[in-house]
Amino acid sequence: MTALLTMKNLRAGYGDADILFDLSIEVAKGEIVAIVGPNGAGKSTAMKSIFGLLDIRAGSIAIGETDITGWVPNRIVKAGICYVPQVKNIFSEMTVHENFEMGAFLRKGDYSAALDRVYDLFPDLRTKRKTTAGSLSGGQRQMVAMGRALMLDPQVLLLDEPTAGLSPKYMEQIFQISRDVRDSGVAILLVEQHAKQALAFADRGYVLAAGRNRHEGPGPALLADRHIAEMFLGG
Amino acid sequence: MLSFVNFFLLPGIVQGSIYALGAIGITLVFAIMRYGHFAHGDLATFGAFIALAFTTMLGVSPYIALPLAVLATGVFAIGIDRLFYAHLRTMPKIITTIASFGVALMLRSFVQVVWGVNTTSYARGITRPENWFGIRVKSHELVTLLVAIALVVALHLFLTRNKWGKAMRAMSDNPDLALLSGVDNNKVIALTWIVAGGLCAASGFFLGLNTELKSLMGWNILLPTFAAAILGGVGRIEGAIVGGLIVGIAEELSVLVIPGEYKVMSAFGILLLVLLFRPTGLFRGKVL
Repeated sequence: MTALLTMKNLRAGYGDADILFDLSIEVAKGEIVAIVGPNGAGKSTAMKSIFGLLDIRAGSIAIGETDITGWVPNRIVKAGICYVPQVKNIFSEMTVHENFEMGAFLRKGDYSAALDRVYDLFPDLRTKRKTTAGSLSGGQRQMVAMGRALMLDPQVLLLDEPTAGLSPKYMEQIFQISRDVRDSGVAILLVEQHAKQALAFADRGYVLAAGRNRHEGPGPALLADRHIAEMFLGG
Repeated sequence: MLSFVNFFLLPGIVQGSIYALGAIGITLVFAIMRYGHFAHGDLATFGAFIALAFTTMLGVSPYIALPLAVLATGVFAIGIDRLFYAHLRTMPKIITTIASFGVALMLRSFVQVVWGVNTTSYARGITRPENWFGIRVKSHELVTLLVAIALVVALHLFLTRNKWGKAMRAMSDNPDLALLSGVDNNKVIALTWIVAGGLCAASGFFLGLNTELKSLMGWNILLPTFAAAILGGVGRIEGAIVGGLIVGIAEELSVLVIPGEYKVMSAFGILLLVLLFRPTGLFRGKVL
């Protein structure tokens, strides 16, 4: 299996402080990879480092064979990586439809096929296309955020805590949609606070602690490991 | 009733649309770049005098000089941004705000050096008001209203229909996400200056058309224009329009209770009340 997104021996941080020390993560096409770990392990930071939102001191990030370390966000988006931040991930004063149009900002020509596909993934939003995104429920806002990121047909989708604050019903729905997106050939990397649910649903998982890889493997295997369960997943 | 319309409401609406055109620019610049642009009044003066230059040089009617001045001032505003504001982009916004005061002084001095400090006007003579069922309106007042409405409608269509107009709204709404969507920050900023600078020139032009041209004209409307933007809610275009009209009408009505020379105090009073009781403005704008 060849990796689509590769983070290799990454050391990164803000200002003088390092948060990631030696982190390596790989995601292949058609695979969901979850990053879990205790608070402060550097889960979200790992994701932000891909988009150059903090200083990278050592190591490299690549998509396919292309090294994208230190690229500006604009270029990374064009290279096929789309990112859904945990908070402030929609244009709350714009309509649902305009959010998707902004997602397609870099596309040239007709993008009605991409729009149709996004509305097929999130049928609830079809009737809300003229609604201001900020007035939707939390789960629907998360769907708008994912839809915006999918408008560019990314090769890699980064989801930062997509189910934070959502009801179990919406959590299951977001997981199901992520599987559908994966099955269409997209590589998904997600960070999750709900470690058990995330590992149960992901193809593979990484357990981080203090900015380093601690464990990795297929999600169910990590879940079944008693040591990991006691140390990181709350028993 | 008719005299109320003729002497208070109509002049208030005309003055209010002049404020509104300036306030839209102030609100747009704040929404995209997050600082108060205090050179906006003097940029309006500059635009008004550029229109004067076109009328005298080309020998055309002021109404033909207007679109030329709007375009020229828009481009000129991009130049100001590149020269004075661009390198301050990553620093605390207060630095750019202070820099805009400096630009205001430079613009005013430039106007004074080139056109002098005496008052002048686009056309000599007195315009007789038209009389429509007792409502007396001068032709330049009518043009002011119609062009202001046309500009606002055009801006609305641009912001809601055009790809780059939507990018401007996106940048105002959530700048980080706009960057993550691949929007080029610098292009949006240039576009903002074209729009804000152009509308600013229009407001200066109409101020000169309805009163007279002088080097301090723009500086004198800076306070009411800011009051209009803040009253409407900073970052809200519809707010800037409503705010402009309210300030304009309030100024005219204030003559009923205070001497006319203190008109501008009513703008100050409105600003004070808004900041005390509803700092986000009527349309809940961005908090400074």
